[in-house]
Amino acid sequence: MRAPAEHNGATAIDELRLPALPAKLGVAREYAQRAATAFGLDADRCYEFVFAVNEAVTNAIRHGAPDEHGHIHLSVLTDRDRLTLAVRDYGTFSGFAPGCATSTEHGRGFALMARTMDAVQLSVGSGSTIVRLSKARA
Amino acid sequence: MSFFYIGDAAAVGEDNHGEGVAVLVAGGELDYAASPQLKERLASQIDAGMRRLVLDLSMATFIDSTAIGVVVGVALQLDELSGGLLAVVCADENKRVLRILEIAGLESLLALHSSREQALLELTAAG
Repeated sequence: MRAPAEHNGATAIDELRLPALPAKLGVAREYAQRAATAFGLDADRCYEFVFAVNEAVTNAIRHGAPDEHGHIHLSVLTDRDRLTLAVRDYGTFSGFAPGCATSTEHGRGFALMARTMDAVQLSVGSGSTIVRLSKARA
Repeated sequence: MSFFYIGDAAAVGEDNHGEGVAVLVAGGELDYAASPQLKERLASQIDAGMRRLVLDLSMATFIDSTAIGVVVGVALQLDELSGGLLAVVCADENKRVLRILEIAGLESLLALHSSREQALLELTAAG
């Protein structure tokens, strides 16, 4: 494991490079579950955390682009009472598609992330998109 | 490793639901790796002439937005067909999946039941 890096005042404690394939979503959920359990989220908050991470990784696989090795990057950051998992892909987020709503087949992932996390932050740079999902311990 | 299964209740001998009625059971982790197959199984029932479908999610341990999207898409498709209706079942004990369905606002779009029997009663009444 690489040395911890400071980021937004929180400490990055772990990183995962995940092949950008639907079949790897289970690995992303297990990774999120381990991080949430180690951080001490209760069972319901763990489940919500895993749910939101799965949504972000799904978006990265569906709409984003992997790095040159076919991977997207997950990293876990913690501060005193907040756990954050960042999902990074190498596509440029192009905005929300029109017609995203509850009553259509597509486009509910982001709204569901917002409803299950305490904070969802989207950073769009040139050549990469990062979604940071944060959940407080209680 | 993720795991999911999709089957029709006819495979376990429960095939007497009436004409045009089919019951499908989807369990395990219903994520983006599973949702295309979920969509295909539901679509093939509609293609076979089924107009009233019951989808039992009681054995699902996880459901994501893409699987929920499939369910909503099928409900909308059946809405447009004469006599078409989708009833979703999720047992009361499956609080986690119910919570996700609730957050997604599924209940405002389709009928959600706590048992297959209840869902079939409603489909029969609607017919």
